[in-house]
Amino acid sequence: MPKVKLPRKSTAVDMTAMCDVAFLLLSFFILATKTKPPEAVAVVTPTSVATKIAKEDAILVTLTKEGKVYLMLGDKSKKEAILEDVNTTKALGLSPAELTKLRKMEFIGMPFNKIKSMLQLTEPMEPKKMEGIPIGDSANNELTDWIGSVVRSYSGESMDNLNLLVKGDNDSKYPSFKFIKDAFKRNDIFKFKIVTNPEGIPADSELALNPPGAEKK
Amino acid sequence: MSVIENTNLDKHSNQKRISKKNTVVDLTPMVDLGFLLITFFVFTTQLLQPTAMNLNMPYDKVKAGDEICASCVLTLFLQSGNSIRYYEGMPESNPVVRQTSFGTHGIREIILNKKRQVQRINGRADDFVLIIKAADESTFQNFVDIVDEVAINSIKHYYLDEISEADKKLFSGE
Repeated sequence: MPKVKLPRKSTAVDMTAMCDVAFLLLSFFILATKTKPPEAVAVVTPTSVATKIAKEDAILVTLTKEGKVYLMLGDKSKKEAILEDVNTTKALGLSPAELTKLRKMEFIGMPFNKIKSMLQLTEPMEPKKMEGIPIGDSANNELTDWIGSVVRSYSGESMDNLNLLVKGDNDSKYPSFKFIKDAFKRNDIFKFKIVTNPEGIPADSELALNPPGAEKK
Repeated sequence: MSVIENTNLDKHSNQKRISKKNTVVDLTPMVDLGFLLITFFVFTTQLLQPTAMNLNMPYDKVKAGDEICASCVLTLFLQSGNSIRYYEGMPESNPVVRQTSFGTHGIREIILNKKRQVQRINGRADDFVLIIKAADESTFQNFVDIVDEVAINSIKHYYLDEISEADKKLFSGE
């Protein structure tokens, strides 16, 4: 019987292919990572089982832990009209140059009577240093006026185009939210959305057993 | 692993020979580095995008005309320190106010039990009405959690209300 000769194989594996794969994946993840701009106002949102993605170009009301309220006019096409409307209805007396300055600001968070002096500062004010839009008592709820201007700028369109979001911090107190809600209500807005982080639907709950989409045809 | 060339053998010979270097590079450390970076980026990538939860307010300029059965109502009070007080039925009938907490074994169980009870008595679980009253001390998170609970348990009717004098009397009588 001839002896079967087993060739001795080297255990060294060619790593080139694996290296290629590793760096391909690496480049993918680097490109896919969205470099998030550091948030000017820190807000930790609650979680919910909602699955709809929050839209970017929305009118966003931010409520911080301290109870400060900021307004972000994400809908660029309407921003100018809204600010001009506020300027005339609340008699802020802003010059066109000041209006453009205000338009460049991402967060609006000052009482009406302090907007002009804020815009006259040479350095743009940091959102953290702003006082927030007063929402306190019902007579002095300036958010109502802001939302009023927002609604007017959408007049003639379907109200479904108006994307109203509320982003609140976990630890903010309920009354602040109630005042925001009241501001919406007084402008006849009864539907809005709350920004949350996604969370798993608990198994064997009713929602998991019959999801709402399944009921509709 | 890497191929190590034995060049020491040539040391004894006086002749200086240019050793033929192996062009094969050991890529193992490079692969290691690659995967290390991948894991880093995987963990830092925020694939979770914020979601939007719908909230509908009652249109309270028109008085609701539909009758609700008194035994189908469950009223929740969001209190400070993530606790919930609740009672069943109408405040006029002096119901017992109990205390519970958020979570599967707290409020969800109570809501589900009440829903089953309504199903048993009325034959329709949709008759169940949940009234949510948030105290000033409760947080925004409490509020979102309870509205989320409504979605989780597929409750058709729920209302947001303020704590009334009648409710305060019930608490003091505890």
